[in-house]
Amino acid sequence: MTRNSSKVKNTFLYIGLIFWALINLFPVYWMFTFSLKNNDEIFGANVAGLPQHWLWSNYSSAMGTGKMGVYFMNSIIVASATILITLIASLMATYAMTRLVLKRRLTMNKFFMLGLTIPIHASIVPIYVTLSRLHLLNTYWALIVPYSAFSLSMGILICTGFMNDLPRELDEAACIDGCGVWGIFFRIIVPLMKPAVATIGIYTFLQCWNELMFANIFISNSAYKTLPVGIQALSGQYTTEWGPIGAALVLATFPTLFVYVFLSKKIQESFIAGAVKG
Amino acid sequence: MKKMFSNKLNIILFLLPALLLFLGILIAPIILSGYYSLFDWNGFGKKVFIGFANYKELFTSNAIGFMKALGNSMILALLSVCIQLPLALGLALALGKGIKGERAFLSIYFIPVLISTVVIGQLFLKIYNPSYGILNVVLRKLGLDNLAKIWLGTKETALGSVFVPTLWQYVGYHMLLMYAGVKSVPPELREAAMLDGATDGQVNRYIVLPYIKPIIKISVIFAITGSLKSFDLIYVLTNGGPLHSTEVPSTLMINMLFLRNRYGMGSTIAVMLIILCFGFALLINAVFKEDK
Amino acid sequence: MKKFLALILAVMMLASMAAVAHADDKVDLTMWCIATESDSNRHAYEAAIADVTAAHPEVNFTWEATENQAYKTKIKAAVAADEMPDIFFTWSCAFLKDFVDAGRVYCLDKELEAYKDELPEVMLGNTTFDGHHYGVPTTMNIVGLFANMELLASVGYDEVPGSYEEFIACCDKLIENGIIPFGCSGKETWCVTEYLESVIEKSCGAEALNDIFLGKATWNNADVASAVDTFQALVTKGYFDPEGIALSNDEVKANFMAGKYAFYMNGTWNCADFAAKPELDGKIQVAEFPVINADKATLGQLIGGPSDTLAVAASSANAEVAAQFAVELGREICHYGYLDGCGLPAWTPFYDASGINPLTQAVSEIVANSNAMVLFGDTAQNADAANTYLSYVDLVYGCATDGQGFIDGLTADIG
Repeated sequence: MTRNSSKVKNTFLYIGLIFWALINLFPVYWMFTFSLKNNDEIFGANVAGLPQHWLWSNYSSAMGTGKMGVYFMNSIIVASATILITLIASLMATYAMTRLVLKRRLTMNKFFMLGLTIPIHASIVPIYVTLSRLHLLNTYWALIVPYSAFSLSMGILICTGFMNDLPRELDEAACIDGCGVWGIFFRIIVPLMKPAVATIGIYTFLQCWNELMFANIFISNSAYKTLPVGIQALSGQYTTEWGPIGAALVLATFPTLFVYVFLSKKIQESFIAGAVKG
Repeated sequence: MKKMFSNKLNIILFLLPALLLFLGILIAPIILSGYYSLFDWNGFGKKVFIGFANYKELFTSNAIGFMKALGNSMILALLSVCIQLPLALGLALALGKGIKGERAFLSIYFIPVLISTVVIGQLFLKIYNPSYGILNVVLRKLGLDNLAKIWLGTKETALGSVFVPTLWQYVGYHMLLMYAGVKSVPPELREAAMLDGATDGQVNRYIVLPYIKPIIKISVIFAITGSLKSFDLIYVLTNGGPLHSTEVPSTLMINMLFLRNRYGMGSTIAVMLIILCFGFALLINAVFKEDK
Repeated sequence: MKKFLALILAVMMLASMAAVAHADDKVDLTMWCIATESDSNRHAYEAAIADVTAAHPEVNFTWEATENQAYKTKIKAAVAADEMPDIFFTWSCAFLKDFVDAGRVYCLDKELEAYKDELPEVMLGNTTFDGHHYGVPTTMNIVGLFANMELLASVGYDEVPGSYEEFIACCDKLIENGIIPFGCSGKETWCVTEYLESVIEKSCGAEALNDIFLGKATWNNADVASAVDTFQALVTKGYFDPEGIALSNDEVKANFMAGKYAFYMNGTWNCADFAAKPELDGKIQVAEFPVINADKATLGQLIGGPSDTLAVAASSANAEVAAQFAVELGREICHYGYLDGCGLPAWTPFYDASGINPLTQAVSEIVANSNAMVLFGDTAQNADAANTYLSYVDLVYGCATDGQGFIDGLTADIG
């Protein structure tokens, strides 16, 4: 192969990659311009171009009418707690299934994997009844508990890969030094699971940040509503002003994007660390 | 030492949080759904036991159209495996080789995964809009007026139009998974092959692909169960229409549960979905094992 | 990172404690409704709630609004789990009836008795089951034929044609001049029924249609089949914007307001929005759909009626207080909603209503001359039947079946 032909090949590769990048950036551009337009521009007059009048007022009306600040905080609280609980529960369970002497550990593991296949919408009413019996409705727990449960299988899947990779000699050495199982778990295993933590964190975050169905049904008190519900509440039965909805969408999405851009290196590294172990 | 690792109490304590969450929130509702699926029930009134009549109706009634909906989601699953995953794999291999701007591309390709489905849905509604949508405008500008269509409103094009964003949104997700795999291939293996004069294609074919097979398996499982469960985008774009041409099991289920007040039938669809997803997961596992 | 998480947990604990702690001797009442912040009824709800809570200092009132589609899921899940709020918004007829049949709704006979003079019995028909009243109607709406008079004038009409023949001639003329007569969202099937039900009613008569909706007669009715064919002819002749099938109602309405269609048939709740646009001032008129078959139907037969309703949960700990509160609230929402142009009052006005926008006034005149009303088909029929009906309406609008297929299918699936 000559140098020239590989150069041509490379150029084509780059054209392809850049083209795909533009396709993937378009939604961000569209959402941002959409948030600054009025209904006439959104519905036909100017769908993809820059806004004719930059209506920053859409943002103030989204913030003002919708208690978006409160919803935003709620989303953060729910997401952080869900991530925390998912992490604790899946690390502990995986430890038991990979390190402790457990009959049928593979069956157990498969049993947890069942969770990956369950459609979230199928269990709304039974979960609702359970939460109501436990008096958890209209608290943060009404979302944290189901979200954690639905993220658990993925958490265990990721953890199993990482934990199987840690040499067993570590446990044995610690045991000889007088550590109990709990000591081994907290002092040896957990600190070594950092890459898994980041991977599980991002998965869980994706699961719960945009979830609408549960959030809508389990929470009926504005003080605990999350962002997706707040955005939905901006559209009414008979009328809908779309500009402020766009602004709310930007407010809901851009923080995620910023966090991702800042953390992307870390997230990608943790993905790499976790690869091939699932 | 063995004794310490097999202490029953410890094992139970370690498993307890996960088991509580899992049994209480995931397994119990499935069992309940299985139970409800045997009744004619609107969700709050009197329950009438009807045995497996719901299942029979689900598979035979043309009015419900479950088989059609299932067919649609199978098409989606097939497209997902044949188009979405190869595309993701191609990108992962291209980036994993180590090129300029690798990280930037990687981050950009992951963006659609981060954006809420509601936003993606609204965006594609605008793209497909028959009069001012970007797609038709471009086609008309190119002089291809006869190709401009009412994309989401025509039976023949609606399904395809709904699938495009569904597949596109998660390319980045699978790509990142596979990229991670590609990156974890030991560089010595790659270098050794290169020294032996292997081309890029051969390295990918004989070194990288076998190495990342476990990841591909997981991607395939996610792609297929995800297709069976797909709901959000279809709900936003067409809600199953026009004339039920884009109906999938999940949209049917929500329809039965909360619009038609047929809670028993909705539960039946839920049970079928779970059985199908789990069945496919086992099947894929078996296929990949046999390959070894 | 750890500190951050600990902080968040602490905040959470505090917040959930704050929610529990709060005790005084006031009666707590909660209400769920669909008057979200951008709903045209929002202002009416806010004003009414301010008035009624001021009159009841003993009540500690909280309310939550949820978007329309999501609300249907929410309220049904709440009924299933027996977690209903004290007062809840509901659509009348079948939607409410399922809850009443399950014994979940508090009977309002006693509370409504005191308001007999202000609330005509005919307005309670849709919320009365077995002779007992279970709901407080707020506003009522009918289907109106909205017309863009500028477009009509451009083809030589200065009013909406009164007879069906003239109406069709007008549509033909619009088409000749490159103007689309009707805009209708095919994505939201209820929008198609606004047209279809009017055509059926003006062909077969109000009574026949009402009997079918209420299950007193079967769908097996040749007049309905030919009326459906009449409607479909309008579709095949190209009177409807073909793009409408993929659009939402919001988009179609925006098109109508932008002057893309000559007519838009939809609920009269739209009056408030049309009136709020200064550039549409005087351009839009509302009329009744003309009679198609004068042997069976007459002018004054309308589609619509009181549908928006407040009801009280039987499980409410303070059902009596809630009932009294709901009745007063319904009356005030009706009052403010009417003044805002969100619909017509179900309650007899006790205030001066002369300042209301001219469109709503025109609707009010049409209703004053009406002699029969058939409630919207998707509200009147039970949930399962209504959705079957909607899917057949889809088939008709998509020209996948004809009138005979429509009645045959519905007879087989519903009866």
